[in-house]
Amino acid sequence: MPRILLLLPTTTYRTEAFLASAGQLDVEVTVGSEHPNALARLNPTALLTLNFSDPEQAARQVVEFAAEHPIDAVVAVDDQVTLAAAAICQALSLRQNSVESVLAAGNKHRMRQLFERAGVPSPRFKLYRLDSDMEVLAGQMHYPSVVKPLGLSGSQGVIRVDDEPQFVRAVDRLTKILQAESEKLKGDQAEKEPSLTSHFLVEDFISGPEVALEGILSRGQLHVLALLDKPDPLDGPFFEETIYVTPSRLPTDVQEQITRSTGEAARALGLSEGPIHAELRLGTDGPSVIEVNARSIGGQCSHVLKFGTGISLEELIIQHALDDDFELPNRESQPAGVMMIPIPRAGKLKQVHGLRDAEAVTGIERVTISAHLGQKLVPLPEGSVYLGFLFARASSVDAVETALREAHARLQFEIEPFNSDAESTKKPLEPINTDVAFRN
Amino acid sequence: MTEDHIAITGEPITDAMCRFTVDRPVYPEKSFYFGDKEQADGANLAERLFAIEGVRGVQISHDQVTVRKAGMAEWPVIGKEIGNAIREFIASDQPAVSDEIRQRIPSVEEIKERVQQVIDAEINPSVSQHGGMIRLIDVKENVVYIQMGGGCQGCGQADVTLKYGIETAIRAAIDGVGDILDVTDHASGRNPYYVPSNK
Repeated sequence: MPRILLLLPTTTYRTEAFLASAGQLDVEVTVGSEHPNALARLNPTALLTLNFSDPEQAARQVVEFAAEHPIDAVVAVDDQVTLAAAAICQALSLRQNSVESVLAAGNKHRMRQLFERAGVPSPRFKLYRLDSDMEVLAGQMHYPSVVKPLGLSGSQGVIRVDDEPQFVRAVDRLTKILQAESEKLKGDQAEKEPSLTSHFLVEDFISGPEVALEGILSRGQLHVLALLDKPDPLDGPFFEETIYVTPSRLPTDVQEQITRSTGEAARALGLSEGPIHAELRLGTDGPSVIEVNARSIGGQCSHVLKFGTGISLEELIIQHALDDDFELPNRESQPAGVMMIPIPRAGKLKQVHGLRDAEAVTGIERVTISAHLGQKLVPLPEGSVYLGFLFARASSVDAVETALREAHARLQFEIEPFNSDAESTKKPLEPINTDVAFRN
Repeated sequence: MTEDHIAITGEPITDAMCRFTVDRPVYPEKSFYFGDKEQADGANLAERLFAIEGVRGVQISHDQVTVRKAGMAEWPVIGKEIGNAIREFIASDQPAVSDEIRQRIPSVEEIKERVQQVIDAEINPSVSQHGGMIRLIDVKENVVYIQMGGGCQGCGQADVTLKYGIETAIRAAIDGVGDILDVTDHASGRNPYYVPSNK
């Protein structure tokens, strides 16, 4: 029976989905995480602790492990493990993206350079040091622009600026975010690329709708799994993802351009194997590639994607990792969508109301509150968590979008402000349904 | 009674699991879980079901047969084979779980006692280092129900701990245990050890 190594960071949203999918296949599973599982000593062949911030060390450790327990495929679940996966696969001579290509995908400046060199349409950009004189730099910028870190994900630290004072404030804010995230950004990649913590990127703001493309690369060939529209305008100042719907409502020729640009972008980075998640803006000049990541869609959003007769995205990724001749089925034809529930304000989550009402909306398939009661919630650009996820399926994309908006409107979140004991309730709330499971 | 008159309704729960409800009891007022082909050896209905390609687990409860499968076979296709197996079994007039099979597994009381020993001696001392605890809630037939508390409740790694820690420890200690089910309301966890984030 083949063995897969699942690289699962302890903070990933996707543990349940990947374990469930792996459980459906005839495979032995070894889980690699950056912290030891409390029960690791009871099952050392299934539970490995790997230092993801030092991919070469992780690779050496896995090579030693694989000498006794051969590994047939490595699956990276999220951004923070893609580099370790590439290093491990290189050491084991397994089919995967090269370390260089994953490094490029993890550094927005390097990514922009490679896109520019390959002629891939993407925003104009410039790199600056965080310790520059911002008052001087502010006068040299074109507005509107977007200030962004080189290494974070999920729109964390990404801020639109429309004038000089906003630019100065945005960079100050980004500097603080990078200081707060320094623990995450240290490690092998940061040592190889010190610019991740010392520099930032300023790029043109491209006005227009945004889309996401989910695909799988096989020997460098892009297979599109889904093209997802983002109906909420992402005009800043922060770029909080909310609704994704699929299939796309864009004209076929535009969809083809998006696919073409994504394939060119992946090639420019040198990515050749496994899942990719691309974000593109549709400006007046056509699709512009914002980024291509060497991983699948984040959060719990993958739940919305089913293939063939109901195969999950995770199962498809594992099957493909084990067998590159695996025939990738098409996405089911029914329109579907997901809403990442935004954090309305900073504070501590006290209670969630309206779950049953939200679940009762026609087309709503599942409501998941992934934040736990008592959790400290921080909105973008500093934060990196979602309150939860809404999932819908319906006969049309419009109906999916309507269902997601209606369900979201029925949810109420009691959030206690930080540094205050005051209750944040503004009006009487319905009794909480204690028998409603927050997580499915 | 003829095979033709037996109505069976299939209801996929996930793409790997489907519940088949039969219009009459197949294992009256009882339930039993077969986790693999070997465990089903000599069990009339389960043995027939495990003979179908892709079947990986069978739970028989009163008038329901829940089948877990692996691979790409579609439920409407494999479901026909499962329906035929159930009808053949009913026609055979044999018990779904024979006394011989039942004697192979420990009694409910014995499973309870041994699971509790594993939890006390092997599991809780380790998970307590993460502020967690595991409780045995119940054992029905050979199905074990556990609950996670403290740092394990709502933890982003709870599924890993359950599948590759708790299950492994219990199965290594006790032969014949069926499903091990987590009945925790993870959403109510107030202090999970690992909190999911988009980082």
